[in-house]
Amino acid sequence: MDQPDLALLRLLQIASPALPIGAFAYSQGLEQAVLLRWVEDEPSASEWIEGVITEILPRLDLPVLAELYAAWAAGDLERVRFLSQFLHACRESAELAAEDRHLGAALARVLGGLGVPHAQAFIADADATFATSFSLAAVHFQVPLRSAALGFSFSWLEQQVAAATRLLPIGHIAAQRLLSRVLQRLPEAVTRGLDLTLVDAGFLAPGLALASALHETAYSRLFRS
Amino acid sequence: MNALSPASTRGVAELAQPGWAAELELGFAVVAGRTALVHRLHRGPLSVQRPFYPEGGVAHVYLLHPPGGVVAGDLLSVQISVATGAQVLVTTPAATKFYRSQGRVAEQRQLLCVQEGGCLEYLPQETIVYGAAQVKTRTRVELEPGASFCGWDIVCLGRAASGDHFTAGELDQAFELWQGSRPLWIERARFAATAAVRNAAWGLGGRRVSGTFVCTGLSPVAVAAARAAVDYDPAKELFAVTQTRSVILCRYLGDNTERARQVLAAAWAAVRPVLFGRPASPPRIWLT
Repeated sequence: MDQPDLALLRLLQIASPALPIGAFAYSQGLEQAVLLRWVEDEPSASEWIEGVITEILPRLDLPVLAELYAAWAAGDLERVRFLSQFLHACRESAELAAEDRHLGAALARVLGGLGVPHAQAFIADADATFATSFSLAAVHFQVPLRSAALGFSFSWLEQQVAAATRLLPIGHIAAQRLLSRVLQRLPEAVTRGLDLTLVDAGFLAPGLALASALHETAYSRLFRS
Repeated sequence: MNALSPASTRGVAELAQPGWAAELELGFAVVAGRTALVHRLHRGPLSVQRPFYPEGGVAHVYLLHPPGGVVAGDLLSVQISVATGAQVLVTTPAATKFYRSQGRVAEQRQLLCVQEGGCLEYLPQETIVYGAAQVKTRTRVELEPGASFCGWDIVCLGRAASGDHFTAGELDQAFELWQGSRPLWIERARFAATAAVRNAAWGLGGRRVSGTFVCTGLSPVAVAAARAAVDYDPAKELFAVTQTRSVILCRYLGDNTERARQVLAAAWAAVRPVLFGRPASPPRIWLT
């Protein structure tokens, strides 16, 4: 099999919702947005998810993912550490920070089991982030950066849509319609994200930050974020 | 880090931008058992009143900017260093206003350094960004291990009472806490009048006033105290408290700057005894 074929298949593997990292447990503030009635149907869910994927990710996670990819490729572990701490410093709430750490550690555990060097160290590391482990996998499996960023954004999008179907009366076809709509904006959003330098990275979304913090004290919760 | 001569921000002279440059450097240290202002340097219309001591050891300081407003091309630069054991509370007697611009940016830079065992409370009044203003603010806090800090940033977009609804302009704001080369907390806001963040529910939700109060320390007791200190009407405003790895964060989103100050001041008053071991002592100037 050709290397590009393998790289594509590896990307499908690490971006798959079947990856045993527990991503289904997190809603990224969407559950609280529903509790606050900011999101209550397909159009408002679509608007929320589109905003998270095309406005927030390209201003923080994607530029840091690109820097992490370069750092792993160069074997610069100190830089990997700094970038992971940078992402944690930008996390808006306890739950969003915990989610990132848990997903990063869980993916590191999977990668460690596959024999990916350096992964093991991030299983019990407070600085673990999803982008840290994802970029390590992408570099190790020779997935090109742009493909990795598209896959990273897609898995984020798919996870948000799945959360929406559990929180709202949105059917499976409507969910795929929502996914399709946002998906078409990913190439442009990823281009923006990869063009941004670290100096300009970081983006406060006050509504999301507040919703996530309020979720900590919500009376009844399906999700851990 | 030498707390008395902070060197990590560039001096005003390096910036070839025309406009009014104002610079203020302050250094605090313990002298004869009391926090004293031991270094002061100012250029342009930024100054400071003599510190006073309404609660014993803590030096209270008012930063003054007599022009009251900042126009395009201006640069305000403030550097404050707090040495080991010194305790300082800084506030301003009035809001900082950024006026409309034809395109050039007005900039405010703040570098706040605290040594081990020092404590800085940085609680200025709000920043008002007029419609069509182009504003860049940078607040960088450098903390040695064992240093304490709390501070807030309250921004108001436009002046609704005067019919200015911020239909153009941009605020580019960064508020960061660092410990050496390690980032502890970073918040970067890009509030452009025409961007999605302005009206989206995940963004400002059409609200005009956004405020963040950040405080070093890990304390579930302080988090609970801040939550209990504020009652708010979810139909008009939002307030939430959380704790990340290094800081406690209290955020406000609403439409009224006075209310934002009131809410964040209540949170400050609630966490101060828990984290800094001192009862709240609100600067009198907040009451006027």
